[in-house]
Amino acid sequence: MVKELDCRNLACPGPVIQAKRMIDEEKPNIISVLVDNEAAVENVSRFLGSRQYKVSITAVKEGIRIVGQKEDNFQGQRDEIYSGNQPAKKILVLVSNDRLGHGDDSLGKKLMLSFLSTLKELGEELWRLVFLNNGVKLAAKGSEVLPVLKELEKHVTILVCGTCLAHFELLDLKEAGETTNMLDIVTAMQLADKVITI
Amino acid sequence: MCGIEFPTDPNLLVGLDNADDAGVYKISDDLAIIQTVDFFTPIVDDPYWFGQIAAANAMSDIYAMGGMPKTAMNLVGFPVREMDISVLRKIIQGGVDKMREAGVVLVGGHTIEDSELKYGLSVTGFIHPEKILIKRNLKAGDRLVLTKPLGTGIINTAIKGGLASPEAVERATRSMAGLNKTAADVMGRFQVHACTDITGFGFLGHLAEMVVGSQCSVRIYSQSVPILPETRALASMGLVPAGAYNNKKFRLSMIELKATVDPILLDIFFDPQTSGGLLMSVAQNYTSDLVKSMRKSGIKDAFIVGEIIDGPSERIILE
Repeated sequence: MVKELDCRNLACPGPVIQAKRMIDEEKPNIISVLVDNEAAVENVSRFLGSRQYKVSITAVKEGIRIVGQKEDNFQGQRDEIYSGNQPAKKILVLVSNDRLGHGDDSLGKKLMLSFLSTLKELGEELWRLVFLNNGVKLAAKGSEVLPVLKELEKHVTILVCGTCLAHFELLDLKEAGETTNMLDIVTAMQLADKVITI
Repeated sequence: MCGIEFPTDPNLLVGLDNADDAGVYKISDDLAIIQTVDFFTPIVDDPYWFGQIAAANAMSDIYAMGGMPKTAMNLVGFPVREMDISVLRKIIQGGVDKMREAGVVLVGGHTIEDSELKYGLSVTGFIHPEKILIKRNLKAGDRLVLTKPLGTGIINTAIKGGLASPEAVERATRSMAGLNKTAADVMGRFQVHACTDITGFGFLGHLAEMVVGSQCSVRIYSQSVPILPETRALASMGLVPAGAYNNKKFRLSMIELKATVDPILLDIFFDPQTSGGLLMSVAQNYTSDLVKSMRKSGIKDAFIVGEIIDGPSERIILE
């Protein structure tokens, strides 16, 4: 049961109130809330989290879509998929910029947030996440994707290029992942079954 | 207001260019007038309490600069066609009662027809020209004292959604309606270097204004910052006003959050406050006496919340 809400043009706390009403009344397994501002993204995500929904955020054409999936179901599905199966392959994702693609920078940043939030869909095949060059900014203080990285870090090893952190004077400000060197990165690439560079 | 040239006057001691809480104009060597104005739309349902809060909020800027409010004028926007005039009467009654408590006389006012209800005051007070407390005068070694708990913006957001408990609403309402007069009286007896009141930019937003230009950094004792009951739970549920996120975004580059500090506190510390408390920078050896005097005078929520440090310029470290 997927329930959808369109909360665009609604000021806080409107979107949270609407989501609350829907959850209280219909108890959906999956709830999808469309919003159009950052405060609403933050508040609705928090609210769904506080009601034991697993949250993913995607930038779409009409705005930003927040999807909450009831946590116990999510767990159940995961167990089914992975029980007894060794991951088929090891995927390494190499991130060398703090935004995704070229063109509009603010769109690029939103896309990066969305990309990293969606990476977990690779399941256990996601093996290493490596941040290089401008990409290391994503793992440093002030980065909007930090909560996503901290969540990913529970299951995936995140490597952050030390030379790059030093170059941007971010060594003390790194808040996610392990600081690493080029030898580790090259070795990881060799061991991986697939390297995705973005 | 970029691009507009304002008239200057040697007697204008605090004007627009250093953006402080109120304007100060010197009349003689030992007397200056201090002026401010503030008004807003209702934040609580009860008109009498709204009147008190709006008045306390408007007068607060005078207290924050070390002045004494003396006269006030009402500013009213009222939807005459949709709302009964008795509502306005209750609002004004709340405002006048608060003025009486402050020793302020109402000398006039102006009302216009408006689609949305608005109320506030223009306030004038007196201040000694050498005792003006500006924001940008933090001194290394000083302690920071805050006199009211944070969280009114989050609780007001929860009120809009019907999610705040009656107890939380009452605590927040009383806190907002509380005058900063007593805190200012006590402050006047101690060596205080800088002061401001906490309003729309939130605790850290106003602190950032103090830090910028004072050429120092501050360390905040996050666990000691007073917070209204239920605020933390409501913030975790996503009842944070958009203003808090805007405040946070604007000043985030100055902030250093130690790993031991719950990140939810950052949203609470940037929560826009209505009629918030005074935040003052006090010489370290007077701090505990000042806080004791505040408590004795009935300001139960006065706490030492941080210290001013030398070191890398313009950082706010939350530990």
